[in-house]
Amino acid sequence: MSLAYLKEAIENGDSEKLIRYVRLHFGDGNEEKGAKEIDKAWIEALKPLLEVPPTKREFILQTLAEQDAATLAHLFFHLHFYFVQRSGEWIHDGNL
Amino acid sequence: MTAIYEKFKQLRPGLWQTVNERYPGSMITKEDFVELAKISKPLSESRLSFVSTAGVQPKGTLPFDTVHPVGDYSFRRVPSNSKTSDLEIHQLKYPTFSAMRDLNVIFPIERLRELVAEKFIGSLTKNFFSFIGYNMDAERLERTLAEEIAEVVKAEGTDVALLAPA
Repeated sequence: MSLAYLKEAIENGDSEKLIRYVRLHFGDGNEEKGAKEIDKAWIEALKPLLEVPPTKREFILQTLAEQDAATLAHLFFHLHFYFVQRSGEWIHDGNL
Repeated sequence: MTAIYEKFKQLRPGLWQTVNERYPGSMITKEDFVELAKISKPLSESRLSFVSTAGVQPKGTLPFDTVHPVGDYSFRRVPSNSKTSDLEIHQLKYPTFSAMRDLNVIFPIERLRELVAEKFIGSLTKNFFSFIGYNMDAERLERTLAEEIAEVVKAEGTDVALLAPA
């Protein structure tokens, strides 16, 4: 999808077009698989926290406080792919 | 072997027959058509450069940004005398299984050197150029990446540029 198409979707509040784009990105063009990949990332993010291990919460809070929204959004995409890869089930054609 | 290829098969068979249906708004038309430049001398006397969207880059350089939802508008210089073992691929959107086994299938750096050794091509530019093809902002691509690559290709004294989409 072109950037113009996405901007138009934002202007029109067309959330379905936008989330479809994200699913296609995570699913390499396969929307159904992309939705599963996003779910998988959340499941993988949940697993390490179940035993409530110590985490660097100061780092997290400092990062959220000091970094701009674009950097955090970029990090958000990185984290999704990180946890997808960490799951051990890599469906993608290429490499990060 | 069939099982291996089954594992790495594309997730999007038939996509390109219905690209506009599946990726609405992705088809871009351009009015300002630019003609290809005429070749000015025989290939055997020409300096050739190679420009690829394969996401090939020297190990140790900043990996292409394969996660950004709108793409990566940077390029990498790949020395044309590189060993294939010194190169790697960062690219999510095409199957890299075969290219990881033999980089030449997507980035024919050794084949081009052989053609120079056989005097089929005069010489190669010091660097080749590589980027990733996942770029959703066509205007930014044209305004930045395409212009920058055109400049560096010219600066290398290129007579002929081989362009290879991945």
